[in-house]
Amino acid sequence: MGQFLQAAAYGVVQGGLLALVAVGFSLVWGVMNVINFSHGAFAVTGAYVAWLMSQRFGLDPFLAIPIVAVALFGFGYVIQRGLINLIINAPIFLTLLLTFGLNLVILNGLQLLFTSDDRTIDTSYASQSFAIGVVNVPYGRLAACFLAIVITVALALVMTRTRLGHAIGATGMDRGAARLMGIRARHIYAVTFGIAAALAGIAGTMIATVGSFNPTTTPGQLTLDAFVISVLGGLGNMYGALVGGLVLGIAESIGGLLLTGTWVNAIAMAVLIVVLVIRPSGLIGKAQYSGRVEV
Amino acid sequence: MNAGPARGSVAAVLQRPHRTLVQVFVDWIRTRRPANSWPALLGLVAFAAMLGVQQLIEPGTQRLLSAVFMFVALAQAWNLIGGYTGYASFGQVAFFGLGAYTVAVLMNNYHVSFWLAMPVAILAGVLFAVLIGVPLLRLRGHYFAIATLGAAEGLREVVNNLTPITGGGLGITIPTFGDQAPTPYFGKPGFYLAFLVLAAVSVAVCALLSRSRFGYAMVAVNEDQEAAGAVGINTTLVKVVAFAVSAAIVACAGAFYAFQQIEFYPTDVFDASFTVLMVIMVMIGGSGTVAGPLAGAVGLELLSQFLRVNLGAYNQLIFGAIIVVVVVFFPQGVVNYFRDAVRTRQFSIFDNVRRYRL
Amino acid sequence: MIAPEAAPATAILEVRNLSKRFGGLWALRDVSFSVAEGQILGVIGPNGAGKSTLVNLITGLLRPTSGQVLIDGEDVTGSRPWVIAHDRVARTFQIVKPFRGLTVRENVAIGAMHGNERDLTVRDSLATADELLELVGIAKHANDAPGQLSVADARRLELAKALATRPRLLLIDEVMAGLRYAEIEAAVQLIHRVRDSGITIVAIEHVMKAIVSVSDHILVLHHGSIIASGEPRDVLSDERVIEAYLGHRYVKRRST
Ligand SMILES: Nc1ncnc2c1ncn2[C@@H]1O[C@H](COP(=O)(O)OP(=O)(O)OP(=O)(O)O)[C@@H](O)[C@H]1O
Ligand SMILES: [Mg+2]
Repeated sequence: MGQFLQAAAYGVVQGGLLALVAVGFSLVWGVMNVINFSHGAFAVTGAYVAWLMSQRFGLDPFLAIPIVAVALFGFGYVIQRGLINLIINAPIFLTLLLTFGLNLVILNGLQLLFTSDDRTIDTSYASQSFAIGVVNVPYGRLAACFLAIVITVALALVMTRTRLGHAIGATGMDRGAARLMGIRARHIYAVTFGIAAALAGIAGTMIATVGSFNPTTTPGQLTLDAFVISVLGGLGNMYGALVGGLVLGIAESIGGLLLTGTWVNAIAMAVLIVVLVIRPSGLIGKAQYSGRVEV
Repeated sequence: MNAGPARGSVAAVLQRPHRTLVQVFVDWIRTRRPANSWPALLGLVAFAAMLGVQQLIEPGTQRLLSAVFMFVALAQAWNLIGGYTGYASFGQVAFFGLGAYTVAVLMNNYHVSFWLAMPVAILAGVLFAVLIGVPLLRLRGHYFAIATLGAAEGLREVVNNLTPITGGGLGITIPTFGDQAPTPYFGKPGFYLAFLVLAAVSVAVCALLSRSRFGYAMVAVNEDQEAAGAVGINTTLVKVVAFAVSAAIVACAGAFYAFQQIEFYPTDVFDASFTVLMVIMVMIGGSGTVAGPLAGAVGLELLSQFLRVNLGAYNQLIFGAIIVVVVVFFPQGVVNYFRDAVRTRQFSIFDNVRRYRL
Repeated sequence: MIAPEAAPATAILEVRNLSKRFGGLWALRDVSFSVAEGQILGVIGPNGAGKSTLVNLITGLLRPTSGQVLIDGEDVTGSRPWVIAHDRVARTFQIVKPFRGLTVRENVAIGAMHGNERDLTVRDSLATADELLELVGIAKHANDAPGQLSVADARRLELAKALATRPRLLLIDEVMAGLRYAEIEAAVQLIHRVRDSGITIVAIEHVMKAIVSVSDHILVLHHGSIIASGEPRDVLSDERVIEAYLGHRYVKRRST
């Protein structure tokens, strides 16, 4: 029993981080119908930025977050404005290919710069934990998870309460109409992509603090998790992504306890396919951009 | 005079008796001209030439060329479902891995001859294609792409975890020496021949299909499924068959690849970059044609071999950059770009970029 | 309404209590009628009356909420579109649906390849297509892309595509809308020629004059229900029809 509670607790904190990875992915997919294969690469890029800050200047990863966010926002903005916008109206497999190529470039660039070694950002508190009953909760993970949830909720509020959020939402629903209303679609798309990249970067930083990362296996796993969570949570639905992330986190950690090897991954894929076929509008939330749900 | 409907009336057209099979054949023979037979002749000549020059090529180069041939087959296969039928599958590597593991498991665990294992691998590919095709081909666009990607990832995980049968993450080895070998190893010349034949058969199958009633049905499904259904095309059947034929070719390629490699891991034969290579080869060459994927596969595989040999650690980086550049500058495919450019005398690449930009 | 008891024994198409609901809207409600072989049935009604929905239900593009569709007395309710096409029922689309990547000739040939009494080879289908293009009057565009056709010619292409499947029953969804006078004349001629070849026709049209001159029988839809049915002349003088179709003002103006 204690084992299960421990696994569940671990799953919740891990799920919070996965949710933060997935919200940006889901937002980009929902708003501009782009599936970003390089999303995991953005997360790992963020992790390297924070890792460098910690190595060179001894900066605490939580304090490095603003720097990571700004850097990744800029990176994402430029990528969207300079590349993805150029083929945004092309058949879908072209945007998939473009982001796949981008993924190769970023990851191999990182590998050349930093080698493919596993890295982690060391802090004095990451390994310390407190206990609730039989369950051990590491401070670092708890803080990271809490931050992830706060940011996800904040993004959801931005989307529903602010002018920028409304502009993004409107562009996602009907770009032509939005442009007629004076919304600069190119800029809005780039901002959306920038936000997604920044959130991925923050998530990467957190993952690097509570665990380890490398440029070869981490990005692909994160992108795949983002896929699953976005589909489960409903496209472009922020709260759906949050719940989807928690569900996946808990399922993976409890599944890891019950099942040998990596059966959990196989089951995650099976669930993904079943959801796509039976309820493409999402299992948890309702897709915000139902026009994208072509069946 | 017969009492049939008046000439030029609707009835005269619609009730005109069909030709008999014999007539069709005789007419076909009679109407053969260089003008309508040159693609087939060119294909035969190219095939014969590749056969003829084999003795002159050193084994290392033969190995390189057999990879080129394999990608010709893979690109043709992807083109059937992704190009003609318009369903961008991002999971075709599932059939490659399935074909590879079927052969390896049969040869290693059950000592089955390669020549028996290979047809079984093809059958496995077809069955799996039908199994996942029926539900997934109802999805469109990104949803189909992701679902097929998920299917491939999922299958890899299954193979990865079925350790007693597949060896799991530790990989599998096909016995190739002495009494242990169910089938003697082909060697570099043997695989050159095998992949050459596979490529030739794939090109021929796709060329024949594309000119057939079925070929037109695939295009119709791609263009507009409601309109296709209204003229009597069973859209579900067309999609599943196109998917299954594609899967058969890919599984067959996987079967040969497995035997060629001797030893491999799930991550090798279920590597998503195989799928992406198929997609980009078709895309660069021009989808929905037979020549496009052929040109794309030959060009890109030679290029990537060149990069691997000459650029070492940078090869993947450069390769990614090439994908990005090609997608941005030639979104309709390099071959289509040049064809249209020559026809309209508009060579400006920047005009080309404008086509899909925001 | 054609009374069910008066339904001819040889009804090629019979629709029984057909209804279709989209969310809260009944696009079609309890519609029954039948069409005898060789007849031309005209269906009219204002925008949104449910005419296209009726065609979509008969041809299997939509599933009815309730009711039945019978072809030659056989229940085909809910069959897939290609099954209906192979029951020798063809249709045109109000919003034309050419296969844009193919030539005009190939567009028509696809019907001959996949419809009924199919041609043996692609070549034969292309030959059939050429003859049909000649018949509908767009032979000179055979090698063009369908996107280059004028509105009238695109409608002719729709008709040729449907005919190529060798139907016994043809459902035409507004081939005359937006055509000029001379073009309408030609279309009416064409419909007569199609009927003369033994094909039964259900013609949906907005153009009153055209429909009166072609139809043996007329059916008026309004808000998804049949509000009148009968001989063209009788139906058109029906006050309810005039009101539904042209609005109050027209009725008032006529009565003053
Ligand atoms: N797929 C659909 N989903 C929801 N509502 C629909 C759908 N198709 C049609 N409708 C609605 O059903 C009603 C009937 O539409 P329909 O297209 O059959 O009318 P129509 O008589 O063909 O009109 P028109 O003369 O404009 O062609 C309309 O109110 C329309 O908005
Ligand atoms: Mg209509």
